[in-house]
Amino acid sequence: MSILAYNGGCVVAMRGKDCVAIATDHRFGVQAQTISTDFKKVFHIAPRMFLGLTGLQTDILTVRDRLMFRKNLYETRESREMAPKPFSAMLSSFLYEHRFGPYFIEPVVAGLDPKTLKPFICNMDLIGCPNEPDDFVVAGTCAEQLYGMCETLWRPDLDPDQLFEVIAQSMMNAFDRDAMSGWGATVYVIEKDKITERSLKTRMD
Amino acid sequence: MLNNYNGMAQPLWQNGPAPGEFYNFTGGQTVQKLPRELTTAGPYGTKRSTAAITTGSSVLGIRYDGGVMLAADTLVSYGSLARYQNIDRVFKINKNILLGGSGDFADIQSIMRNIDQKMIEDQCYDDNIEMKPKSLASWMTRVLYNRRSRMNPLYIDVVVGGVEQNGTPYLANVDLRGRAYEDFVVATGFARHLAVPLVRENKPKDKEFTAEEASQLIRKCMEVLYYRDTRNSSTYTVGVCTPNGCGVEGPYQVNENWTFAATIKGY
Amino acid sequence: MSSLGFEQFPDYQVPGVKHPDFSPYESNGGSIVAIAGDDFVVIAADTRLSSGYNIHSRNQSKLFKLSPKTVLGSTGCWADTLSLTGLMKVRMQSYEHTHLRTMTTDAVAQMLSITMYNRRFFPYYVSNILAGIDKDGKGVVYSYDPIGHCERATYRAGGSAGTLLQPVLDNQIGHKNINLPAGELPPLTKERAVAVASDTFISAAERDIYTGDSVLINVITKDGIEEKVLQLRQD
Repeated sequence: MSILAYNGGCVVAMRGKDCVAIATDHRFGVQAQTISTDFKKVFHIAPRMFLGLTGLQTDILTVRDRLMFRKNLYETRESREMAPKPFSAMLSSFLYEHRFGPYFIEPVVAGLDPKTLKPFICNMDLIGCPNEPDDFVVAGTCAEQLYGMCETLWRPDLDPDQLFEVIAQSMMNAFDRDAMSGWGATVYVIEKDKITERSLKTRMD
Repeated sequence: MLNNYNGMAQPLWQNGPAPGEFYNFTGGQTVQKLPRELTTAGPYGTKRSTAAITTGSSVLGIRYDGGVMLAADTLVSYGSLARYQNIDRVFKINKNILLGGSGDFADIQSIMRNIDQKMIEDQCYDDNIEMKPKSLASWMTRVLYNRRSRMNPLYIDVVVGGVEQNGTPYLANVDLRGRAYEDFVVATGFARHLAVPLVRENKPKDKEFTAEEASQLIRKCMEVLYYRDTRNSSTYTVGVCTPNGCGVEGPYQVNENWTFAATIKGY
Repeated sequence: MSSLGFEQFPDYQVPGVKHPDFSPYESNGGSIVAIAGDDFVVIAADTRLSSGYNIHSRNQSKLFKLSPKTVLGSTGCWADTLSLTGLMKVRMQSYEHTHLRTMTTDAVAQMLSITMYNRRFFPYYVSNILAGIDKDGKGVVYSYDPIGHCERATYRAGGSAGTLLQPVLDNQIGHKNINLPAGELPPLTKERAVAVASDTFISAAERDIYTGDSVLINVITKDGIEEKVLQLRQD
């Protein structure tokens, strides 16, 4: 089995009208055994930016810490907030530095640009090949199921409440068909003046 | 066993018949003949081919409103060696079936011997019933599928074309695993990459090709294949099958033009 | 015979000698979706036949009409699909001749399972979904794994985009994760089943390279089979 699917889990991010949403499941497991059901794979790393990491749990924590270090260094040196776009570029080059001994993670970045407030979503493979579409990005062990759900439910210019409904339904129905993901979920909806965090109760099996 | 009442009866003498039974000349032992490819175990195990050796390259088939056209070049290669340069790979099976063969040419010849034997048997019935292209394609899938299921495939990829009894053209492809499909254009080898897109691009919507369009496309495609496929020769044969009968024409020569070669620099 | 040098080669791996293994299987792609209603069943399959980056055919039906009330959708290794469906047709006909009646959908479902399990140790590499009207006149869907495990269901997605589409059906047809009382859920009409099946294929064609070109939709009722075609993207 792939190391990327050793601990299980999934993340999805979507773009709406002047908002973005990102969702994570809560499972942390070792192959088929579930260890914990409150492990969130999405991190609030700037006022309007979230980073989601799926894959090997130890690498999720390491990459999160090392990226925070680099981001803090950038913000100290530049005396300004880091926008999602340069953050993703930094993440991409960080991952490519480890081209021949990669971190086994698949990252997702979602946020609003601090100046223009334009929505931004991005995902990458484990060696940092970036993808910045204008609809949605998926990652994790149920990526295929998420593609199927998102492709049918998503449409352009969803308002924050509709976006929440679409991302929540996509997430729940996708991971219900994956044994390695699930056990509850959390959805973050990012708007220019507020961030809404909602916990989803789902089937726990 | 002729009746079910003397199952317990002993033979009258050693290897002899039991009461109420006919004498069995093989002494009660039934000789079972296994297919040859299952019985040729040598000192180091069973022998089977693992790759095509002498190979024919592409075959291209196009279906049009009044029949089918099938083309293949005349080269049979031995690795990168252009070994046999004047071999016809489009065969006329009967007056309404054509077959184009690519892949291992020995296997093609072998399957052709089988088909020829079938045709002779067909003629022996003298019932004016001839094999139809669909029947041959179906038979090919069974032969090839059974060989692949015994893990001893015939390394061939064939195109079967012809005209059905009611006059409708038929064109199909059967590969070494018994995978088969019908379409207005089928191809094997490099023609699948180079010729199929060309032909599909020229297909009018909701209308079949005309004979003229089909032959133009065959000519164009064989030219492209000659330029781009290193295992192609400049001569090719074309089989044409219409309700009035079928035949293999050629060999034709590709319309070569190498004047552009002088302009290519930097290699 | 030993005069031909190659007789001396042992059957095991020898350094420097290439021994390419023949693979009897090939994946030819394609997806199936089936949805059963009270007195009808909808089964849909795309018409692309491919292997690797090659599209062999853009109009190959993967739906096999086994009886006026039963349709089998089969994808995977196309050579196996042809063999399996051929064998099924032969056995259906033989049943009809011995028992003087057409096999019921439930009987076909059981026979398909047994036919597949017969090849337990050299399986048919296929993903099958059987749709039909059962002996009570209700719509029914049966799904199979490659070695003949059979499960009765009301909706199922299979084939190369099966993983993408199954959660969509769970949500839209099974109303999973929708906390509404049963009375407030939309009833499953023929039109809605066809619409959902069509939409799932449009989605699948976006993300699965082995699904596309067009979809054939069969709507089976007690009165017969209605056929529809929907064009999909061809890239």
